[in-house]
Amino acid sequence: MLHFFYDGFYRDFIVLMLVTIFVGVAFSSGLAWAVDSHFGETINQMIGDHGEYDVILHVREEAKEAALRELERISEQQFPGAKLNETLTIAGQSNLFFGFPDQFKTQETFAGLPSIFNGVPGLNGYTVITEPSILIRGVHPSVRVELQERFAAVAGVKFAFRDGLNMLVLLDSIDDARSVSAEIKQSLEEYQILELRFPMGFEVDTQQIAHDVIDLLSDKLGSKKIENVSSAEYGEDLDAFLKTLVEMRSFLLSYASKVRIEAIPDVHLVVGEQIVLRGMGDVDPYVADEYADGQVIVEVTSVQGAEAEGMIIKGSIFDATDILRQDGFRMRSGGEIGHHIGQVELENERYRLAYTINESLRLLEELEELAVEASLAVANADAIMNTFQEALMQLEVLQIQMRQLSEGISQGGGQFGSEQLLVSLLVNGLMKNLAQGATGGVSDDSLDSLENLDVESMRLSLSNITEQITRVQEIDVKAIIAQIEYVRDSLPQLDDEEIGKSIRLINTYLGGQVIPGERVQLLVQNRIIDEKELEPQIREALNNPYANVYLTSVGMVNPDVRSELFRVLQEIRATIAGMLAMVFVMAVLILDHATIFSTLKWVRTNKKGPRGRLRKLCNPIIGFGGFTGMVALVSIYLFSRAEIPYMNPAIIGIIGCMMGCTIVVFAEKFSPIHSNEIMAGQALGLSDVQIMREIVIPVSRPGLLNMLNRWKQRF
Amino acid sequence: MLEIRNLTKHYGKQIALNGFALSVKRGETVVIMGPSGCGKSTAIRCINRLTEPDSGDITLDQRPVLTLSSKELRELRRNVGFVFQQFNLITRLSVLDNVMFHLVLAGTPKKIAEQRAWAALDKVGMGYHGHKLPVNLSGGEQQRVGIARALVSNPQLMLWDEPTASLDPILVGEVLEVMEELVRTTQTTMLIVTHEVSFARKVADRIVLMDAGRIVEEGPPQLVFENPRSEIGKKYKRLIAS
Ligand SMILES: Nc1ncnc2c1ncn2[C@@H]1O[C@H](COP(=O)(O)OP(=O)(O)O)[C@@H](O)[C@H]1O
Ligand SMILES: [Mg+2]
Repeated sequence: MLHFFYDGFYRDFIVLMLVTIFVGVAFSSGLAWAVDSHFGETINQMIGDHGEYDVILHVREEAKEAALRELERISEQQFPGAKLNETLTIAGQSNLFFGFPDQFKTQETFAGLPSIFNGVPGLNGYTVITEPSILIRGVHPSVRVELQERFAAVAGVKFAFRDGLNMLVLLDSIDDARSVSAEIKQSLEEYQILELRFPMGFEVDTQQIAHDVIDLLSDKLGSKKIENVSSAEYGEDLDAFLKTLVEMRSFLLSYASKVRIEAIPDVHLVVGEQIVLRGMGDVDPYVADEYADGQVIVEVTSVQGAEAEGMIIKGSIFDATDILRQDGFRMRSGGEIGHHIGQVELENERYRLAYTINESLRLLEELEELAVEASLAVANADAIMNTFQEALMQLEVLQIQMRQLSEGISQGGGQFGSEQLLVSLLVNGLMKNLAQGATGGVSDDSLDSLENLDVESMRLSLSNITEQITRVQEIDVKAIIAQIEYVRDSLPQLDDEEIGKSIRLINTYLGGQVIPGERVQLLVQNRIIDEKELEPQIREALNNPYANVYLTSVGMVNPDVRSELFRVLQEIRATIAGMLAMVFVMAVLILDHATIFSTLKWVRTNKKGPRGRLRKLCNPIIGFGGFTGMVALVSIYLFSRAEIPYMNPAIIGIIGCMMGCTIVVFAEKFSPIHSNEIMAGQALGLSDVQIMREIVIPVSRPGLLNMLNRWKQRF
Repeated sequence: MLEIRNLTKHYGKQIALNGFALSVKRGETVVIMGPSGCGKSTAIRCINRLTEPDSGDITLDQRPVLTLSSKELRELRRNVGFVFQQFNLITRLSVLDNVMFHLVLAGTPKKIAEQRAWAALDKVGMGYHGHKLPVNLSGGEQQRVGIARALVSNPQLMLWDEPTASLDPILVGEVLEVMEELVRTTQTTMLIVTHEVSFARKVADRIVLMDAGRIVEEGPPQLVFENPRSEIGKKYKRLIAS
């Protein structure tokens, strides 16, 4: 059979194959592209052109106009040529599309997104949709910079930038998405975060533990690149929440009634155990009795030798101001009371706090009254002082008059007689009385001492007091009272039982969670380690059976929605291209190759005579047909980047081969042989290639072979 | 010039040639006759290897035919004219092109080829039909074009495979006339398969009678037709007598 090609037809055949492949690729990928772009257009109409917009800004609906104006300003002043568009408003939130002009699609721009848009009115956040891109979720901060550089170096990547906890990798073309994301995945797999978590209540030195574990791993695995990355801010929101929970718990703990337990000898208390007390009720607990209302149940929270602490989980000691000291009994499961375990001291901090506040309030109210009374008293004192001074002055005048009078009496001698003596006696007595009334009647010279009184300085000190009282009055005691009342009222209205339940709830939650400071994160590089295998080793090394070991990745590749959509579209395109490749190859086989096959078959039979059916089926022309079909289909399939799901190139090759074989078997049906003419050509001494070019192909079906032959055909 | 020895050819189980042997001298006109299916066509086609015999030996001008390379074979074929029963013209080509195209493809300049083609067409009386397409010609005309085509390369040997068998009786004459003329005027060696007994008697130097893939009788026409020894010969004699 091959000799048929020797004298030159092989060249025609090779050209035919090349042109077939070329046209086939153009046909299948071109048509597929047309279909693809049709659907793509539809998608784009819905969510903007691929790569047209970079950011969706979520803006409160009522602020939309203002936001649009601000965005227009931003685009005018900072990014001339930027695209702005308004799309759907969902649930009171408007979505505005913003697209940077090409020259601004830089790492700087994207890294600075928060500062670019922070002035947009009503902004509720934004989503980066720049395309084509790959989204990597939850990139661990310890590797962020390193990964950013590595990703930027990947072929097909423009640059990478951080978007919150995520990282976005911008691509040159959507076609690179697959290869780049594969490479990114590979890069991510090079790192692992080995996380150690400790249940609540473990006060661990994270630095020390990290150090120990690094030592252990370096020893066991010989891994060099292990780094402690515990302090990295990871999951900020969660951390904040957990911190709040921890604070809440410690607040509740300090707010709860204090429970101190003194166990009697031979009783060993354990954490979590429950103990029954009489509480404020009047039913004493007895062994084997049932729990009764009013009794208090305490849970042991920590044990130190014979002493333990606990908290109330059932019942209340609300109105107990003093420390209670009662007998405690074990609480068995099922509500039955067990053995006596010792003395339990209960102290209601909360009630004491409330009591203190109430006392303070009372004090404040009295202080106010006191101030009013004091100022009244001072005012009175002032009035008395005035009266006193006046009286003193009148006394002085009187004294002088008296003196003059008495002098007058004595100088007059006997001129006045007994009347004068009487007056003189009266005045003296009066003066004595006066002096006594003013000074308490101490002495003769009391009037002098009265005169010596420093009324002015007394006045001054009185006015000082007045001032101070005024100041006290100026203090807005009412406001203070209101504040203190507010504080009192805003104190949680919780009883011990509720506090206990809350603490237990927080503990259950925190127990399974990462708590800042109780988590150690190690970055392990180039090492695939098995957490299950490692956990016992680490527990042993740390001498802590509660340490939990987890392995997490440093990021997850997450194709964004539209890339995904377009990838699906791409897949459809590839599938269509694949089908078109098959259709095309079938057509080519029928139009072009059937002619060659039937000629080859005729030449062969004519020379060797007809064969049996079996021999017919295993002739080399069928092999040649299979080969032709395979080469054509596989080449077109691969070059047009076709991809039919579940069909690898090998399967495609087999399909092509089967198509070729089938066409060979039915070649004459598709391309009837003009045997007389071929025979004439042979008889006239034409070569096989001449027979093909001048006799067979010119009358074959119109196709590539026929068309290409026009260049060679001479008649 | 042509020596054929012990040629055999099987088509599956069917034997087409069974020890066929023939020797032809330069310039000789040999007519092969025999019943249909006796292997005449097969024999004649083996000479220019349109059919490959299973075994045997053919030499043409002392050159072994069956071992020629394909290039040598093509050369040989150009020197051996072949006229088919079905004319085997290239239907898409004009009469002129049919006659000259193989000359051009073999390297003859187009002008010269054309001149020779016109001359050959003139010789068979088809000079006025050069630009027609074969479908527009009668069977006889087509066969004359076929003859011109074989003639144009001045072959040393012409093989005729029942050239008139598919023609209307009316048209047979014109072809036979051309053939007679050729035999008379050229020195070309002729090997003619035909059922035309009177034509054979007229032109043949020798008659070869075949049956079942082998030669059963041969000799000058008078001898073979007057005094046949074989069954086939006797049948032909009866045919002539009637
Ligand atoms: N291509 C072929 N395939 C099968 N059998 C053939 C073929 N050509 C000829 N034969 C058989 O070989 C025998 C000789 O045929 P052929 O030489 O054409 O006879 P003739 O020309 O004398 O009529 C016949 O029996 C015929 O059926
Ligand atoms: Mg025949």
